[in-house]
Amino acid sequence: MAGVTTALPVRAVTRPARRATTESALVRWTLIAIVVAFFGIFLFLPLVVVFQEAFSKGVAAYFNAFQNKATQHAIWLTLLVSAITVPLNTLFGMAAAWAITRFNFRGKSLLTSLIDLPLWVSPVIGGLIYVLLYGRQGWLGPWLAEHDIRIIFAVPGIVLATTFVTFPFVARTLVPLMQAQGQAEEEAAATLGANGFQIFIRITLPKIKWGLLYGVILCNARAMGEFGAVSVVSGHIRNRTNTMPLNVEILYNEYEFAPAFAVASLLALLALLTLFLKTFAEWQAARQLNTTTTTQ
Amino acid sequence: MSVELRSINKVFGHLAAVYETSFKVETGELVALLGPSGSGKTTLLRIIAGLEFADSGSVLFNGREVTNDSAYKRRAGFVFQQYALFNHMSVFENIAFGLRVLPRRQRPSSGEIRTRVSELLEAVQLSGYEKRLPMQLSGGQRQRVAFARALAIRPQVLLLDEPFGALDAKVRKDLRRWLREFHDQTHLTTLFVTHDQDEAFEVADRVVIINQGKVQQIGTPDEVRMNPGNDFVIDFLDLQLAASAP
Repeated sequence: MAGVTTALPVRAVTRPARRATTESALVRWTLIAIVVAFFGIFLFLPLVVVFQEAFSKGVAAYFNAFQNKATQHAIWLTLLVSAITVPLNTLFGMAAAWAITRFNFRGKSLLTSLIDLPLWVSPVIGGLIYVLLYGRQGWLGPWLAEHDIRIIFAVPGIVLATTFVTFPFVARTLVPLMQAQGQAEEEAAATLGANGFQIFIRITLPKIKWGLLYGVILCNARAMGEFGAVSVVSGHIRNRTNTMPLNVEILYNEYEFAPAFAVASLLALLALLTLFLKTFAEWQAARQLNTTTTTQ
Repeated sequence: MSVELRSINKVFGHLAAVYETSFKVETGELVALLGPSGSGKTTLLRIIAGLEFADSGSVLFNGREVTNDSAYKRRAGFVFQQYALFNHMSVFENIAFGLRVLPRRQRPSSGEIRTRVSELLEAVQLSGYEKRLPMQLSGGQRQRVAFARALAIRPQVLLLDEPFGALDAKVRKDLRRWLREFHDQTHLTTLFVTHDQDEAFEVADRVVIINQGKVQQIGTPDEVRMNPGNDFVIDFLDLQLAASAP
């Protein structure tokens, strides 16, 4: 007992001193090595594997994979779903960011946290809530069946699930940007006789365009790549409700490895393109924020 | 155009920013709202412009009630403390903004807009700066662009929020003189907010002294100096007189 109590202060004294002197090359290189190893194992190697497998049967086989009717339909459906959900969530995100940064109202902090909800909830749950709502045994199921409206195991369900999963992205990028920029320019425009719409088009939109683009890119990447939520509501009906990620799974389960990875490589390319555009938009957004804040 | 406030009250949270404030600025007057920072003078100016709305009381322009009109309906020329220039637009576009957003029927042609903008640039001594961005201007130049932009819509009243606050002493003195001369030529009803009594007394026809959201005294600079209305006014002016005495 006595030994422990005397030992403690000694350790407390010596540790910081040693840390201060040894936190040099060794620590730095260890940290960098960990990060590089992490990126290599978790990001770079899988990417290499995707392309290696995709081309394992040759270039001709790679392009042949896209001749498949079901694959073509899956690509088309993915494009359709993101063409619907991304504009929808762009509008929603702008409206939410506008409301949060420009007005004070009751329940504002609740709204702010609700926007993040899809990020904490498992996408599978996100899909499941729509099955529980609109499925045959769901709350609205009987009514929908009566009117011959199909949502679950059909395209509307996929759109709903994807919208749910992707709605935080635009709002989350815009809120901090619009908070940082303030609204002095908007007020100036109002005193000069501009109405709300003119202020939005001529002042706000140019100020947030790069941040907005950044959010839209992220939203699009997620919309095209979403698996879990879509998997629950889709029903995996070939040529009807299969999106690209679901198509990859089906091909893989049927031992069609090369075609599976060929489709996967398309998604990987999309990710790389997203990364590039995202970096560019981020850089532009930072530049724009700098110019607005330095002159304020 | 005259501007009148009748028993204006405004509360932010638990803080009364403006309390039972009434005064009238006559057509063609140049009036200073003078008070220490946090006294509610900027809030008053924003209430007049329609950027903020009073909890109670009324705002009248030329005797007409505008209390519930939004800023874009009132079209008061407002110059912001930090200028609030449109950073993504050239000087030319900044000044032309108020003309470009007019309803089509009232909107001048692009030739007329060009003429109007160059007149204004000349008036604020910035001819040749049309293509610059706000970032490429000095503080004093930005201030003058902000003036020109507010004047472009031919407002009936000009509201200035600490117009010289962010500038260095020399530029400030020049702009002060410029403002007085400009007012003598145009007789545009003008209300400006300041915490600097020298500025208020040198430029204004009348001074409204405000503290803690309440009007302390209204009068010409001479009246206020000869007959300070209460202890606060004596204190506020004395302190600054002592500081500026040689």
